Amino acid sequence: MSLSMPDFSQPESTKGKRPDLRRILAAPGVAAILTILGTVALWELAARTLNIPSYLLPAPSSIFSTFPSIGAERWAGHVWATLRVALLGFGLAIAIAIPLAIALVRSPALNRTLYPLLVIVQSTPVVAIAPIIIVVLGAGDAPRIVITTLICFFPMVVSTATGLAATPPELIELSRSLRAPGFREITQIRLPFAVPYIFSALKISVTLAVIGAVVAEFCASDAGVGYFIQFSTSMFKLPQAWAGLFVLAAMSLALFQAVSWAQKLLFPWSLPRKR
Amino acid sequence: MMSKSTMLSGLGFALTATTALAGDPVTYQLDWLPGGDKAPIYVCVDQGFCADAGLDVTIASGRGSSDAISRLAAGSSDIGSADIGALMAAKAQEGVAVTAVMSVFNKGPHAFYTVKDSGFDSVADVKGKTVATSPFTSSNVYLPLVLEDVGLTEADFELTKADAGALGPMLMTGQVDGIVAWMTDLSRYTGQGRDAGKEIIALPWSAAGLELYSASLVANDAFLAERPDVAKRFVAAFKKSVEFCQTNPEDAAQSVVNMVPELAKDDVLGSLNDTLGLIFNEVTEADGLGVFEPGRLAATWTRVSQAQGLDEAAQVPESFVTRDFQPGGEG
Amino acid sequence: MEIPAAIRFDRLGQVFETGSGRVEALRNVSFEVARHEFLAVLGPSGCGKSTLLRMIAGLLEPTSGAVEVFGRRVTGPREDIGIVFQKPTLLPWATIEDNVVFPVRHKRGRVGSHDRDRAQELLRMVGLEGFGKRLPDELSGGMQQRVGIARALHMDPDILLMDEPFSALDALTREEMGFDLLRIFGERPKTVVFITHSVSEAALLADRVLVMTGRPGSVLTELPVPVARPRGRETIKDPAVTELAAHLRDLLLQRDAA
Repeated sequence: MSLSMPDFSQPESTKGKRPDLRRILAAPGVAAILTILGTVALWELAARTLNIPSYLLPAPSSIFSTFPSIGAERWAGHVWATLRVALLGFGLAIAIAIPLAIALVRSPALNRTLYPLLVIVQSTPVVAIAPIIIVVLGAGDAPRIVITTLICFFPMVVSTATGLAATPPELIELSRSLRAPGFREITQIRLPFAVPYIFSALKISVTLAVIGAVVAEFCASDAGVGYFIQFSTSMFKLPQAWAGLFVLAAMSLALFQAVSWAQKLLFPWSLPRKR
Repeated sequence: MMSKSTMLSGLGFALTATTALAGDPVTYQLDWLPGGDKAPIYVCVDQGFCADAGLDVTIASGRGSSDAISRLAAGSSDIGSADIGALMAAKAQEGVAVTAVMSVFNKGPHAFYTVKDSGFDSVADVKGKTVATSPFTSSNVYLPLVLEDVGLTEADFELTKADAGALGPMLMTGQVDGIVAWMTDLSRYTGQGRDAGKEIIALPWSAAGLELYSASLVANDAFLAERPDVAKRFVAAFKKSVEFCQTNPEDAAQSVVNMVPELAKDDVLGSLNDTLGLIFNEVTEADGLGVFEPGRLAATWTRVSQAQGLDEAAQVPESFVTRDFQPGGEG
Repeated sequence: MEIPAAIRFDRLGQVFETGSGRVEALRNVSFEVARHEFLAVLGPSGCGKSTLLRMIAGLLEPTSGAVEVFGRRVTGPREDIGIVFQKPTLLPWATIEDNVVFPVRHKRGRVGSHDRDRAQELLRMVGLEGFGKRLPDELSGGMQQRVGIARALHMDPDILLMDEPFSALDALTREEMGFDLLRIFGERPKTVVFITHSVSEAALLADRVLVMTGRPGSVLTELPVPVARPRGRETIKDPAVTELAAHLRDLLLQRDAA
């Protein structure tokens, strides 16, 4: 499957004189869309000419034909179930990671004691403990949210802590020389300086959140795109499972974009300056 | 009614919020994902047998018998389906407060699937072959027993583990000579084989002498103790639904599809027909539907304790079941 | 009663414990800075010049000896001191005006209209009138450093500490900034400790030049700048200044060769 990565080197402005093909191709998203369309076309061609059995690699046409047969309402139900868990887990991860990163930066003692613990938690495969979490937390969204949070919070802690510590030392000295209250050093200097770090972590974590929600759905759920894929696979409905995969990929991309937009909208200064 | 249930299962998370039916709430735990082999509970809800019995049933899917039993034990579900062998092992080892109330499959669903005329035409032919199984199926537990019955051990063939969804393709593409799967999937595998130009056959282990109870209706002990009336009504409605599946398989399949539109009716019907043979057969004719016949129950425990390496004498087979909740039962 | 010096170092020593052992940064440093005096500190890299500033600001405790500011021993950060760093280190998200009032916002949590008026006045003084609503990265390096100076002056400190403030600028801008400083401090005199690598900058700006030795840093000599104020562009060609610069250069080169 070809999921083209968002183009990070995209020129932000295409100020030019006359429109030509090269400029159209350079417009944001066009290259990505063309790549996806081209891959899908090649794939369809291969599936037809090489006679690949659908249980190995279904043709895109048979994948897309499953979309209407499921129906918009069902899709919406599955997407919403996954999205809700992914976003709540992501939100909870932010709510835990940022204060935790602040604590780690503020307190060397915590950094020495808590950090190794975090690394241990991170290196424990969440997939392995997911069934335990589900038995402990019971039915409902709670266990799935916790699993999602566990999967996506670590990059945020590390990146936020790095950002908080990467503040220019001069400003910290300025803060100290002013004898300002300690919390303002965090809110007015360190946190804003960490914004680029936090957002690069958020971009990674939001796609991890989708993975987390899917992992959780594999273990226990009655709705969601991950459940839908598992369910379709177990029914040997491979084209249907692939359709679910496409939806998941689209969700991840959309969330990634949403985080990028949020940064552009709320913290334009934190982006690399266009020259 | 139909559209309501469709919508509700689509928005699965909203299921618990429903109060529209205003009956006694019961959460039913599947031991796997929805499908034709799980038709009775969908019939019970969709055909209204559950509502007629004053029950408001919520269906929760599970990920294997052990998962279903732990959720029943934890009380997040009240009653559900699980392999009685898994229940026996869980009770013997962990003392879980879950008890079987009705037998559903009185034969093991376990089987080898092979390509016809490939030299793997009986269970004994497994010698020297490569076989794939999924990591969590209860069949793995019984595999040593069925091998022993034909005078083989696990050293006599090569066993690989793969995700359940990958087993069919592995067999079709010849990566393995056989797979371990359930009889309830017979029509799915034969259909998949037809698409790939292969004729698939099933070699049920029961044919090799593995005679035991399998999928059963099992319930949380607290549910049985605190709401015995609800439990009795449920068991009666469930039994009626099982019988409906036998007499009206088309309508039963439709009920499943009504509630789970992701499924295609043909697939559901195929799976249901494959399943009916495990519920209604010569054993059912002799003992009756849903019955735990003491001799067969004891034989099942013997097999399970052997397979799991448990002390057979430590448990009384009767302690795994209660017959108090079946229609006409004592109590 | 004798009027106390603005800043007094008394046999000050500083030893850092690092991962690779003890490093003696300063040894037996004693000197004074009078009120409204402009002291330039010259010395080879790593002679502990910046450490001196941190001690005056109360950000660092000396290992031995003491620092006094207006006759009182420094025991912690004090508010009557402004600092201009080597790099402007402005807040990239805040406008120029917000950067200038930042010390007030940071200390008190809020900013009054009086504070903004003062920021405007300071921006006018450093030649950045009309730039208040811009963001830092819209300004050149020299302009950003002017903002840094305005920020340091906003709380109207008695003492201004400048840590190689022009070292990141190109030669021409650097000269311009020197003349601007002369004008600014001509308008409102401050006690300034100015750390630099540039002998001509030291000779142009300072009332007195303190030359330091290499590690461990100690005072090699103190030289007055025999040129009257006000000074300006022509001062740079004044024989007294060029002579002093040449002498300072010799002193530093000798040290390096030794």
